[in-house]
Amino acid sequence: MNDMRLAERTVDTDAKAIKFQCRDVQVWYGDKHAIKDVDVDILDKTVTAFIGPSGCGKSTFLRCLNRMNDTIPIARVEGRMLLDGEDIYDRRVDPVQLRASVGMVFQKPNPFPKSIYDNVAYGPRIHGLARNKAELDEVVEKALRGAALWDEVKDRLSETGTGLSGGQQQRLCIARAVATSPEVLLMDEPCSALDPIATAQVEELIDELRSQFSVVIVTHSMQQAARVSQKTAFFHLGNLVEYGATDDIFTRPQDPRTESYISGRIG
Amino acid sequence: MPPFWIMISVLALAACAYVLGRARAIRSVDGNTRRLHSRPGYYAWNAALFTAVPALMLLLVWTLAQPLAVNQVVRGHLPADVMADAESRSLVLADVQRTARGLTAAVARGVLSAGEAAALGADDAPAMDRLAEADIEIAKTPEVLAAARDYRRINSAAGRVLTGLALILALGGMAFALMRTTPQFRARNVVEQVVRGLLILCSLIAIATTVGIVLSLVFESIHFFRLYPWQDFFFGTEWTPSFGGGSKLGMLPLLWGTLYISLIALLVAVPIGLFAAIYMSEYATPRVRTWVKPVIEVLAGIPTIVYGLFALVTVGPLIRDWIAIPTGLGSSNSSVMTAGIVMGIMLIPFVSSLSDDIINAVPQSLRDGSLGLGSTPSETIRNVVLPAALPGIVGAILLAASRAIGETMIVVLGAGAMAKISPNPFEAMTTITVKIVGQLTGDNDFASPETLVAFALGLTLFVITLGLNVFALYIVRKYREQYE
Amino acid sequence: MTDAASQLPRPVGAVPPARKSLLEPDARTRRRNAAETRFRAYGIAAIAVAVAALAWLLFAILSDGASAFRQTYATIPVTLDAAVVDPKGNRDPAEMSKVLTLSYGKLLMDGMKSYVASKNIQIDGLDDADLKSFLSEQAQANLRQQVLDNPELVGQVVTVPALTSSRIDGYFKGRVTAESAAADIKTSPAQLALADAMKADGALVTRFNSDFITNPDASETRAEAAGLGVAILGSLYMMLIVLVLSLPIGVAASIYLEEFAPRNRLTDLIEVNIANLAAVPSIVYGILGLAAFINFMGLPRSAPIVGGLVLTLMTLPTIIIATRAALKAVPPSIRDAALGVGASKMQTVFHHVLPLAMPGILTGTIIGLAHALGETAPLLLIGMVAFVKEYPSAPPEGLFDPASALPVQIYNWTRRADPAFFERASGAIIVLLVFLLAMNLLAIFLRRKFERRW
Repeated sequence: MNDMRLAERTVDTDAKAIKFQCRDVQVWYGDKHAIKDVDVDILDKTVTAFIGPSGCGKSTFLRCLNRMNDTIPIARVEGRMLLDGEDIYDRRVDPVQLRASVGMVFQKPNPFPKSIYDNVAYGPRIHGLARNKAELDEVVEKALRGAALWDEVKDRLSETGTGLSGGQQQRLCIARAVATSPEVLLMDEPCSALDPIATAQVEELIDELRSQFSVVIVTHSMQQAARVSQKTAFFHLGNLVEYGATDDIFTRPQDPRTESYISGRIG
Repeated sequence: MPPFWIMISVLALAACAYVLGRARAIRSVDGNTRRLHSRPGYYAWNAALFTAVPALMLLLVWTLAQPLAVNQVVRGHLPADVMADAESRSLVLADVQRTARGLTAAVARGVLSAGEAAALGADDAPAMDRLAEADIEIAKTPEVLAAARDYRRINSAAGRVLTGLALILALGGMAFALMRTTPQFRARNVVEQVVRGLLILCSLIAIATTVGIVLSLVFESIHFFRLYPWQDFFFGTEWTPSFGGGSKLGMLPLLWGTLYISLIALLVAVPIGLFAAIYMSEYATPRVRTWVKPVIEVLAGIPTIVYGLFALVTVGPLIRDWIAIPTGLGSSNSSVMTAGIVMGIMLIPFVSSLSDDIINAVPQSLRDGSLGLGSTPSETIRNVVLPAALPGIVGAILLAASRAIGETMIVVLGAGAMAKISPNPFEAMTTITVKIVGQLTGDNDFASPETLVAFALGLTLFVITLGLNVFALYIVRKYREQYE
Repeated sequence: MTDAASQLPRPVGAVPPARKSLLEPDARTRRRNAAETRFRAYGIAAIAVAVAALAWLLFAILSDGASAFRQTYATIPVTLDAAVVDPKGNRDPAEMSKVLTLSYGKLLMDGMKSYVASKNIQIDGLDDADLKSFLSEQAQANLRQQVLDNPELVGQVVTVPALTSSRIDGYFKGRVTAESAAADIKTSPAQLALADAMKADGALVTRFNSDFITNPDASETRAEAAGLGVAILGSLYMMLIVLVLSLPIGVAASIYLEEFAPRNRLTDLIEVNIANLAAVPSIVYGILGLAAFINFMGLPRSAPIVGGLVLTLMTLPTIIIATRAALKAVPPSIRDAALGVGASKMQTVFHHVLPLAMPGILTGTIIGLAHALGETAPLLLIGMVAFVKEYPSAPPEGLFDPASALPVQIYNWTRRADPAFFERASGAIIVLLVFLLAMNLLAIFLRRKFERRW
């Protein structure tokens, strides 16, 4: 773990407010107990990384945070997940409204087969965030600037989003998620389909996004977790093994399983 | 010998060749089959194929060519004045064939002896009486009778020659193959070459069918357009065929009926089929899917005659008594509306299963992306899934339209036979397919424009549906490639 | 967990949410959810309409057609007067066959009269015409045939079930009522009253009618005697031809296109061709059959051979498409394995790929056959619609004899005036649907039984 950026970043995470408070979270896929007794607090304006070997449940847990698992008929979630103190699995909560506040970016860039503008404007349109065309233009520009894509695409907003390069597509998807001004941004291995240069751009972007949102990122790359996150959670076989400041996890792991994983003996 | 029995004999010879070929191959190495180039079965197949394939090919080609050749010869026996004019020529030829068939039937039923039939003259009154009593149609004119006698004579002679040639070819093939059966002979390679050739031949049948369709439509249509001006056919607004002459054969009323009924059918089938497909692929639980999908597909397995009867007996009277008569729009049992609605029901599974495939081809990641932004499932479908699937769905609708245009039985029984151009959907109208059936069933006179017009209508129908199909298949294929 | 998070105070109030509470949906969300519910309802409604249409269709056909399988017979004693049926008195069937059917009609008429007299049935307005038209014309022919088959009966009094006319039959099936009879020249209220009296006496029975399946078609005026025998036989012959021709040709063409064909212009042409042929309207195949097989090659009209050939050409694209899908589903690893041990390409295909694809091919073939069985339009053009009363003989000669086909027979009956033929058309549809159901069940069974997952 001799990444030099680790040392530069000594953020006092304890001062941040708690965004998500999760207690006793259990997830079943049919008969399979995919997530067991997970307690975790996710802080505001912080990048939290979920790491662990594949199949450990980190993506499953991420998808619980904006109830994307609702779309899988056999998935069942138990326990409490409080967003600003409100249980997001409460019967009165509409997942549609929740997802407007907890946005998501996926593993593979998935721009809609529409123009770049329409891609970004999609969220604001369905949630009614802009009253007129001028406001919408403003929201789109802000989101694209936020995703560090504005300068590259400002002259071809009406071209289709699927024509962009992989890295640009993923940043477009981030812009699309940012455009609904969420409070939390969930990212499911956002760089796994990208080349190293595009990955670096996206990682840089994630670091910038931290100033406005709480970002939760699932990654299979420990180096990436170390580079971008302030807090890290290590999942193993559906259990949350260890959760703490990223520096601590990578330099002084408490649990032998964490140590085995980060030193490359398992996973 | 009739062709069928020639075929059986050739196949029997091939079976012999199989046994002989195998025995000869094994004998040539004194039972040590490992010394053979190929397994003994290949030597057997080699012998069988060389026996059967050339003889059967000859049989096929001969059967196709014989009518042409015989007609050519018979023409020579008819007076020149009859043969000068195309119309009377085909009439006379049909008469000759009918007489020849009548003579054959008479021999088969024992009314005439074979000798009598071969020498029957128009003045042979007792024989003619017996034929009339047995209800067998025979032409009375001496020329036609003579031509018919020739026709039979040539046909039976040709049959004998064919039998001889086919058997010689089979035996020759067998001898050739057996002679070549030596341990060094590469039987497997030869057999595989022949089988490959046969496979290619089979796949060419698809092209042969298309060529056959085009030729039969084009030739008879040319006949028709010689007798009837093409402008009047394509742009005429009146359809009043009368076999006495002076027919008006304008296609436009039929085209109008066809398109009107198809439009109503699509208005029924597309919303229902599309929404059903959307519900199946986006909302339904797997349990519901496994039950409902086959039930809807049952609609596709029901023959169109059943829909036709349903239109005639159930839907037609219902629409007439409850809608058409109370509103004063019509009083006919069959109507554009009846045929359109029933055809729409028939097309529901067609639209829904095609759309289902197409919607399922839209990648899940797009849905996740939209749902992850907080859109409802229906917003996802309307704003993301359907626009992405649009080309494919358009293709599916075009295919459904081509189905509707070419559908026959529902309109024959449900739409009526009145050719007219009217905007009122509760009136009976008629379609291209109805008139094809109408002009070609019963006794046909292939020299009159009233019969031949059916081929021109068929050609029109073929061109319209072919255009729609090619375009639709192109769109669907392009769409599939996009997500593969 | 080891983290300090658990010691932190609950964030409620500490960070007031910038938005409204998630627990109360806002107006816009409520509107959007209402739209969602509506959209879902459209989907359910569409499915409901489709299923209801199917149910309606099946109900209409079944309720109209079920009665075709039952028929009303009169059992009255008939004296087979030797002077009438055997004028020469030598019991020689050849001599007796010269007696016309009409004479037997007189015997039946006498039987009816004496029956009415013996039971002392008094009905106003019952005249001879009513008695005469009470029984089917077919009853005379049946009685004649019975006597010719068994000359011993001559001179005896026999009690045979005789077909009643379609009106009497319809009366017991609810198709004919006293009101409709008054307006109908073929029956009268008095005749129906007689039917009631005979029913009460037990001389009229309505029972299962196997003749409907086995009899040939009957003329316009004898709806009660019409059956499906010739049509079923004709359909069977055609299916035989389709199966024998289209399965080998279809499989051979698919094997070539899927396993051997190089990617070139010709292959492309063939593929485009097959895709288009599958969508060509069936009536066009009828025109092809008329022009090519009947006019050009001189094959007979109305013959199963022509119908079979036309349906073969029509079914081939379906079978080829299904077979290619089945061949494609065989994983390449199987081919690699066979080629790897030194099999030739041809051996690989015939020994390994084809057997594995067989269930899929058979399923596709059966579905194609089922489609061909229900096809009507092309058969109309090649003359299958003709009235055929003689059974075709056994194949191969029988393939050239005139025959009908099930769907064409249905069409034929819908064209006739007597409403009794509609009942029979619906009944014939039930028979057709039973065949189709059986074929589809067989296909499903094959698919289930041999389903393979790689």
